Amino acid sequence: MALRDAAIVGYAETKIVEKSDRDVWELGAEILESLLERTGFEKAEIDGLILSSSMTGAGNCFWSQTTADQLALDVDFCQTVDIGGCSPLGGGARAAAAIDAGLCRTVLCLFADTQAAENNQRMRSFHNEWTTPLGYIGPPAAFGLLSRRYEHQFGLDYAALGRLAVAQRGHAVLNELAVEKLRKPITVDDYLTSRMIADPIRLLDSVMVCDGASGVLVTARKSAEKRGLTKIVVPIGYGERTNYRAGEAIVDVTESGHGVAGQRAFLQAGLAPKDVAAFHPYDDFIIAIMLQLEMLGFCKRGQGCQFIREHDFAHTGDLPLNTGGGQISAGQCGLAGGGTNLVEAVRQLFGEGGKRQVKNTGNALVTGIGGIPYGRNWASSVVMILTPNA
Amino acid sequence: MSPLKDTLGVTREPPTPRSFSRAYWEATREKRLILQYDRRSGRYQFFPRATSIYNGHRDLEWREVSGRGEVFSYTIAYRARPPFQGHEPFAIGLVTLDEGVNVMGNIVHCTRDQLKIGLRVKPFWMPLANGAHLLMFEPD
Repeated sequence: MALRDAAIVGYAETKIVEKSDRDVWELGAEILESLLERTGFEKAEIDGLILSSSMTGAGNCFWSQTTADQLALDVDFCQTVDIGGCSPLGGGARAAAAIDAGLCRTVLCLFADTQAAENNQRMRSFHNEWTTPLGYIGPPAAFGLLSRRYEHQFGLDYAALGRLAVAQRGHAVLNELAVEKLRKPITVDDYLTSRMIADPIRLLDSVMVCDGASGVLVTARKSAEKRGLTKIVVPIGYGERTNYRAGEAIVDVTESGHGVAGQRAFLQAGLAPKDVAAFHPYDDFIIAIMLQLEMLGFCKRGQGCQFIREHDFAHTGDLPLNTGGGQISAGQCGLAGGGTNLVEAVRQLFGEGGKRQVKNTGNALVTGIGGIPYGRNWASSVVMILTPNA
Repeated sequence: MSPLKDTLGVTREPPTPRSFSRAYWEATREKRLILQYDRRSGRYQFFPRATSIYNGHRDLEWREVSGRGEVFSYTIAYRARPPFQGHEPFAIGLVTLDEGVNVMGNIVHCTRDQLKIGLRVKPFWMPLANGAHLLMFEPD
């Protein structure tokens, strides 16, 4: 199978900051250099470049090409993946596909965004006509609608959601690359009493936009083995779905494309939810973590809160959750933020988690969420299952 | 809990319609709500699109509807960007119209206690500077 023939041979990440005084390409250069130093690859060996979406790069319709130019990369394959927060994982899967198809051999997957310092996005979508005139502020409002509906259908235990926020914050405290502002422990009570943004979405449900970059180097597994690289991670399952139930006028907003994407990924990997050693879900809002637990089959729909109450999500717990703090506690690097949890999963599988190293490095499940559509759930859902080289 | 505000004093920029949504905004000048109806599937859709969401054909016509429906979900904005800043808290509802589509709109003339999923609502039209109207909802 194509996916398993690829390997992630290195990861890199910058410090996440509230507002970068360094240009997005300087962050990209740091990632490139760090990957070369960690893997022993030469720049000339990189013949593919895949970028994630980027709010900073968004004004530039030549984003991947000009980034290749700025980093002086001479490549046979060059593209930007534009499925929002799913782009980093989607980029990893496309790198594996491009290598398998013989288009290139070694791909730099670079996720760099300085949204806080330089946001060039201009949405050409439904917003101008259908939501902006309502005072709708986008993701928090969408998740407010989603949460209220979930509460109506299943009931919602906010204290259970708070446990996820607390666990992730505990991990950010241990992560030196997390944004400093958020490296302070919180309690469930802090979560419950944090101010409302889009009722019932609270401040501590939400990500904070930050600046930063991360990246992985992907090559053929055989080449990695031939080079004698011992620390490699293999994607053994991947599923992706954009616009789940696009052909319906009314959809259940508590259901996401992670159901179908997850089934596909688990089937390819030959694993079930009970086998997952560490869980690194995309976290733009705390409730998204719970919905993904349900959609991926860790528990039945409507039973997410009960599942949360019954499990320990610390790095020492039975289901370690976003051990770098997740985007909610490490900071969201704009549209490159999906790379934060991917890189943390790879770091853990390499056994380089330091103070927050998980015990079971048998596998890790990483997800993405991308884009917020009108009156629905989210636009893109991706799931990737990774294992160290077996 | 602070009472809900109506944001009726907030001046909204009139939206720029697309080629396939112009008829909608034109009808709002007369406070009429029209929806795209797909003749092949016999179903409505919202927001207006260049194609049927059901089958990819373009066998669409505009039909006037009452705009009555019930609240599917709602959120209360406690943080907003200009020009809404300072007008919080206000309600944004996702409303299921009786014709079977979900439409978002501010819910006005409604108290915090009244606002619930399932609440019956009807259109309230807020005038925009260009003579068009913005669809809002109020308790029916």
